[in-house]
Amino acid sequence: MAKGSRFGVLGGLLAALVLCLTLSGPAWAEKTLVNGIDFGFPPFGFVDTQGNPAGFDVDSVNWIAEQMGFTVRHQPMDWDGIIPALNTNRIDFIASGMSITEERMKVVNFTIPYYEVTQVLVANETEATSFEEMFTTGKKIGVQRGTNTHTLLIDKAKEPGMDFEIVAYDSTDLSIQDLPIGRIHASAMDSSIAREMKKGRAFKTVGTFDVPADGYGYAVRKADTELLNTLNEGLKKLMADPYWVELKQKWELE
Amino acid sequence: MDFAKIMPVLWESLPFILGGITWTLTLVFGAMLLGLCLGIPLAVGQVYGSKTVRRLAGIYVWLFRGVPILVQLYLFYFGILAYLSRFPLLSGLGLDSAFLAALVVLSLTSAAYQSQIFRGSIQSLPEGQLKAARALGMTDGQAIRSIVLPQALRLSIPGWSNEYSILLKDSALAFAIGVMEIMARTRTVAALTHEPLPFALVAGVLFYILTHLGVRALKTLERKVRIPGYARQGSMS
Repeated sequence: MAKGSRFGVLGGLLAALVLCLTLSGPAWAEKTLVNGIDFGFPPFGFVDTQGNPAGFDVDSVNWIAEQMGFTVRHQPMDWDGIIPALNTNRIDFIASGMSITEERMKVVNFTIPYYEVTQVLVANETEATSFEEMFTTGKKIGVQRGTNTHTLLIDKAKEPGMDFEIVAYDSTDLSIQDLPIGRIHASAMDSSIAREMKKGRAFKTVGTFDVPADGYGYAVRKADTELLNTLNEGLKKLMADPYWVELKQKWELE
Repeated sequence: MDFAKIMPVLWESLPFILGGITWTLTLVFGAMLLGLCLGIPLAVGQVYGSKTVRRLAGIYVWLFRGVPILVQLYLFYFGILAYLSRFPLLSGLGLDSAFLAALVVLSLTSAAYQSQIFRGSIQSLPEGQLKAARALGMTDGQAIRSIVLPQALRLSIPGWSNEYSILLKDSALAFAIGVMEIMARTRTVAALTHEPLPFALVAGVLFYILTHLGVRALKTLERKVRIPGYARQGSMS
């Protein structure tokens, strides 16, 4: 009897708990949207020395959220897992210097582009090899694994007459470590990162790839058309606002 | 390397980096404890179980020792947990937590390794002890609980402290799914300066200190629980 009633109370509590969780779950998810940002992609998205998400994209999204009436939480993620995280509902969108590419558009939807970057080749200041010769004389070219610069190099290597070796790194930072000691002859990257890399270092841009400039866009799940519209509208508002110029100056873009 | 640029960033970010120690240690101690709870029955099952139990335990150990932790983390976090959190009943339970995924993966893997440590210890005990226990009228369960395990667990401590240092280093892989432990935090700060090396050094020093302190603590434990006159202590380490 005593045992039975205890189970009754326990069961009731459990049922109440489950009910609370099922009811509160989606409702609470609707209020706060989670933006996934790359651990380390300054000045677009990064985590500052205090551990807070920061950067151009973080500021932009905060402004958009305020205008469009939603709250946002910025969740730092490792780059390799960022699209899987989006498509498994860990995060709701990605605003972290992500290039709009055909490959990615197969699995996610992108907003309108808000920033343009070209693909460049960075080398030691003393490097004598020209941009064209880099790809035909058996040189080693570093690149961050999984980026669209990586895809670009892979495609380029397939062209006739090409002779170079792709060395893939976990980050562009790591490839840069290998430049001065000569393990690689050049490193391919976005023009936005190249500018960061050249600050205070003996590097130069050897040349720019002859491909259309990439646009950075925010990525959302295929099914989230409503969110896509909200973000697009927010982006358009932001880019028309004086704050946009201010933001670009703050993060030394352009 | 530009130390004038790195030092202020390192200094400013030190509290943030050190904050990762809590996450790392929670992961490691959590996984050791959960691995212990699962590892003991696995070991007992492998030594004393029926043919089916032995085979099942064997498959478990084979599976978790055979798949790299990084692969397991990806499969579990982006695969199994993501699938489970689709059900409305489960979606509120915090299943989207990367920390939970890392803890589960490390625990399950550690259980597989720990079970092998315990199995070795159990098998190193003289078989006559079980016979003697039966002669005293004990059931097999009683004998395992009160005679085999107290000795086997003591013998397992050196192997167990080895497992601690392995787990500590494996926990650094949790950065891949976004757990902000030591590794993730140092990588994050390194990206601010575009100088990965000094911060890799910081991570290395932190992991070294934690390994050293943990192994020393377990050595002390080993001494404390030693049975005086029990001769086989040294032979396992």
